[in-house]
Amino acid sequence: MTAPPPPTAPPPTTRPRWFHWAPIAAGLLLAAWPFVLWAVHQENPVAAVRLARGAATALTTTAFYGALLASGLLLLWPPAPAWLRLVATRTWRNLTLDRAPLERARSELQHFESAARQLEVGRQLRLLRQLAAAVHHLARAIELDPSVAGAHHQFGLALFTAGEIELAGRAFANAERLDPGHAFGDALLHLGRCQFLAGHTEAAASTLCSHQQRHGGSPKSHLWLAEVLDRSGDRDGARAALRTAAARPSHRLDAEQNWCRARARVRLWRYGAGR
Amino acid sequence: MKDLLQHADEMPVTLVVAIAYGTLAVVTKMFGPAEQFAENLHRFGMLTPQLVTAGEPWRLLTYAFLHGNALHLVFNLMMLFGIGPQLERTLGSVRFAALYVVTAVGGGLMVCLTQPFQQAVVGGSGALFGMLGCAVALLMRSGRHSFAFLEFEGPRRLMAMIVANLVIGFLLPFVSNSGHIGGLLTGFAFTLFWLAPGRQRSPLRLAWRAVVLLLFVSAGFASLVPVTRADYLAGAALAAQGERREQLERAFFEVTTRR
Repeated sequence: MTAPPPPTAPPPTTRPRWFHWAPIAAGLLLAAWPFVLWAVHQENPVAAVRLARGAATALTTTAFYGALLASGLLLLWPPAPAWLRLVATRTWRNLTLDRAPLERARSELQHFESAARQLEVGRQLRLLRQLAAAVHHLARAIELDPSVAGAHHQFGLALFTAGEIELAGRAFANAERLDPGHAFGDALLHLGRCQFLAGHTEAAASTLCSHQQRHGGSPKSHLWLAEVLDRSGDRDGARAALRTAAARPSHRLDAEQNWCRARARVRLWRYGAGR
Repeated sequence: MKDLLQHADEMPVTLVVAIAYGTLAVVTKMFGPAEQFAENLHRFGMLTPQLVTAGEPWRLLTYAFLHGNALHLVFNLMMLFGIGPQLERTLGSVRFAALYVVTAVGGGLMVCLTQPFQQAVVGGSGALFGMLGCAVALLMRSGRHSFAFLEFEGPRRLMAMIVANLVIGFLLPFVSNSGHIGGLLTGFAFTLFWLAPGRQRSPLRLAWRAVVLLLFVSAGFASLVPVTRADYLAGAALAAQGERREQLERAFFEVTTRR
């Protein structure tokens, strides 16, 4: 089997997303509040008092009805508890991710460079969501030894998270070519997803069907297959895939699979499967 | 005590703070007549939100060296000698002194923002809680991950001590828990963003630093110029004239009469 050429990916940047900036914006608003009140007070002290009182009332009311709404959503809207579990799991995982393996691999790398060490550093950085640095190390790992399927797989995952779909698809294809069924079919599954996101619907359907035949399915893979089938016009096939994804599991699902199952249930409801 | 005397040169700030506590206890005549002691506390810088608003912002710091009675003083000295030396050795004296000052002011600001405007507060416990907050932040930074320190007995006891002190503060009516919480939060944030920041540089961290700094400045401004508090409006009305005075009086009545 021939090794694929080393990748030439532009390093993706880890852009902060809206939920990173939201508390900062709230903090800025809070910090500006006394100055706003003072400015109003200079013009009209009564208006400043009323403004403060109105803001306090609005805040209390919003908090009260927000809590009511959140409670209602949690009770009535199936994806809400799954989403809450997913967010809590991800937050806890980010906060408790062991930094020691990264430090150890980094210090080893200072003394002797090898593909395995570069791969370990890249993998740990990807878990810490330092994607630009992760891509750098993973690309170097592939450059040192292009025949390691794990490096291509991790490289693909880092690029997939960063939104570089085309490059990620190529990396997953390389991993699958070097080691068919790599990571219990995860490379093949992500390859199918990348093909779908890149607009290659038929190839995606073929890849995901092949994944299901070879590795069985999970709520995530069934949901992704349903999306592909829906886009290709096979609504019955999509509905069947959604039914499988939404089926009651025989064991406790992890947070991500549980979230996919909840999404599948909502899609199925939108399809009108119950009628 | 032996360790303290042998290593006195390693913890000058802790010793200076302890000496200041003792000296001020003597100077304010803690063991003298109650009226005279209260007057001395007022003269040497006890904190009340009203006095800070009236143009005495130095009280935001000076209250942290005064104590209300012998038991208060002894407990705070015990806590200071319990955590101060290790923290001063870890941080260095200059940064430790900065921590004491910033957390004392943070505790004072919290008192000004949340307590009744005539509430008098003294004691170094706000700053001492700041040291505890600093210790928690340092532990979070030093482990394999942010909560790895909870696997160890010592840090778990530290957390239990913080919780127990806060609970006691809520149960006892004469303890100013807002000062404790203010100091704790200030010490935690000051350490996390300035004294021991993480190695990874990111725009988000810079933004957080700016926001925390702005919140601190903003809290200071709100304590000095509380434009929606009755005592400030009454004082401003007395100092103003003409239409402005009428406006301020109307605002005063708006605050005091309407709910």
